[in-house]
Amino acid sequence: MKLSMGPQHPVTSHFRFILDVDGDAVLNFEWDVGYTHRGIEKIAENRIYVQNIPVVERINSYCDSIGTTLGYVEVVEELMDIQIPDRAKYLRVIAAELNRIASHLYAVSLVGISAGFETMLMWTINDRELILDLLVKLSGQRITYTYPTIGGVRWDMPDGFKEEALERLGYLEKRLEDYYRMMAWNRTFQMRFKNVGILKSSDAVGLGIVGPNLRASGVKVDVRKDEPYEVYDRFDFEVPTGKNGDSFDRASMRLKEIEQSIVILRQALKDIPNGPIKCSPKGSKVPPTAPRGEAYSRVESARGEFGYYLVSDGKSKPYRLKISTPSFRNLPALPFLCRNIPLGDIPVIFITFDYIPLDVDR
Amino acid sequence: MLGLSFVELIELFIKVLIFPGTLFSLLFSIIVIWFERKFLARMHLRIGPLHVGPFNRLGLFQPIADFLKLVQKEIITPSKANNFLYRLMPMLAAFLSALSIAFIPYALDPSGGYWVIFYTPLSLLVILVILTAKPFIMVGAGWAANNKYCTIGALRAAFQLLAYEIPIVLSLVGIVIVARSFDLAKIVEAQSSVWLIILQPIGFIVILIGMMAELLRRPFDIPLAEQEVVFGWPTEYTGVQFALVMVSEYFDLCVTASLITILFLGGWSGPAIPLLHDISPMLSGIFWFLLKMAVITVIIIMGRGVFPRLRIDQLLESGWTILIPFAIIQILITLATAQWWLPLIGG
Repeated sequence: MKLSMGPQHPVTSHFRFILDVDGDAVLNFEWDVGYTHRGIEKIAENRIYVQNIPVVERINSYCDSIGTTLGYVEVVEELMDIQIPDRAKYLRVIAAELNRIASHLYAVSLVGISAGFETMLMWTINDRELILDLLVKLSGQRITYTYPTIGGVRWDMPDGFKEEALERLGYLEKRLEDYYRMMAWNRTFQMRFKNVGILKSSDAVGLGIVGPNLRASGVKVDVRKDEPYEVYDRFDFEVPTGKNGDSFDRASMRLKEIEQSIVILRQALKDIPNGPIKCSPKGSKVPPTAPRGEAYSRVESARGEFGYYLVSDGKSKPYRLKISTPSFRNLPALPFLCRNIPLGDIPVIFITFDYIPLDVDR
Repeated sequence: MLGLSFVELIELFIKVLIFPGTLFSLLFSIIVIWFERKFLARMHLRIGPLHVGPFNRLGLFQPIADFLKLVQKEIITPSKANNFLYRLMPMLAAFLSALSIAFIPYALDPSGGYWVIFYTPLSLLVILVILTAKPFIMVGAGWAANNKYCTIGALRAAFQLLAYEIPIVLSLVGIVIVARSFDLAKIVEAQSSVWLIILQPIGFIVILIGMMAELLRRPFDIPLAEQEVVFGWPTEYTGVQFALVMVSEYFDLCVTASLITILFLGGWSGPAIPLLHDISPMLSGIFWFLLKMAVITVIIIMGRGVFPRLRIDQLLESGWTILIPFAIIQILITLATAQWWLPLIGG
């Protein structure tokens, strides 16, 4: 029996899966993407460089918009050869890590609901609100911040931000213990997630998986460590990896990464230097045009590696902006894992990869 | 009329319309729906229903408001559905669930009998037969709706209910051995000195788990799994038909809680409550019955906040390989230890 799951379905968000179902077993899995295609790469060719920041933010608007915009801003800065002040770099790291925590909490909440565990959904979504509050203080917005801008960041930290952030991070660290227990001590949770959707490290590398999903399979790859951008080389943090590469590892990988983000945030909040937050003093502006040439940047967003390839013909608008997004690169894993499994495992495997359809379709 | 005297007729009307009939079962559904929402909200660190009804921040009348909303809605039948079956099944579900209540004794009657709508010495068997009819309704409704999610959900429900009826029936065997009767009232009387939960703890756990699976409560709500099959067999139902499905679900919960109270917790037996006992000894019995029922209901509801959902193969496997052996072990223990428990129940 052909079962068309989505794009209007409680769990597949805006994806459509076409499943061959025999009773309760899934024999074949195909995905059909494109429901949320907006043509962002084409739109970007018709806007000037600064105007493109909110446009590319819509690639990944509700989860990790700092990570998304950061990559674009960096590629433009590389092309224009702009050096930004230290304080701006630190502020970008702080915003990016806060956003990573928010995004991972969202991912963990969806992991809970993928097996009908509503308590996990509610608890993590509740705590995500604390981080969003901090980001509101920093940027003025809850989810679409447009915080990094070409040549620095848009706003400075408000007074008292540092103390409040440290306090909330301390609370979150305590709550992480609860989440670990929710996963590791709950036998039903383990029954549903352990040994489900095992992705071996060789397969993961072969399929081109990126981000936390690749690390859950035991491959230690993180752009923040391998090719540090901003000031990530100044912080002392670890890259957590999983062992088995099953759904449980992928789910708990998010919690481990939140832990490391807290470590980075503590150091960043402590070390942040004083100074300007934009490369140019008041009055003078960032050049509106980029010189002829091309540039590439990679950033580690919450879902994995974002790649921006920018070609300029010397005019005020980009000639071409090619975006490589993590969810799209993780997509080959689904048909690979979702064959000859029970129907009940489909949401578990799909959700633990933390896909976001906006990101896949662009 | 029916060969009953006037007093008996009034009594029958009270039983059918008020307690334990229509009014009680509807009130039970409404209170349990409200309690479930509020209780789960507390577990989730939410607030839950807030504004409808008297007291501030309680949202007491929220289930009633929801029900009124459902009744007002248009009844939509999918174009390729089997019209007759599709419309019949929700009514049949609610009717069958309500039917079981007629056979459950809730207290001792002041005149010497039992407070039950229809007394029969085979009441346990009758309720089991009604329980067995449930998969047919689900498969019928799931097939009639002509929706793939409904069909998958219905088949899952059939698998699950059939697999979990067996351990339930096997555990009931142990009770029938002790009480030497299929009569629920006799089972309660057999527990006058010691409750069966103490004599048969394994049987109690098997029945509790089995009944949770029969009621499709989490972690056993696989046929209704939202993330997989949207809402299982009732996916297509709207408005009053959906309300009927919901009501039948909570009637089933009422029956189950009553049944477990009778089988394991000694039914209406308990020390006399001073004030209630003065009015009528029956009220005291009803009080104890409802209290025990509430405890069982809370335990059954709590699963939704604590567990993720199981997978259908894990569920069937644990049903066949864990629950059934344990139920059989309970029967063997009951038979082997007869010389110790026989004096306790006055045999």
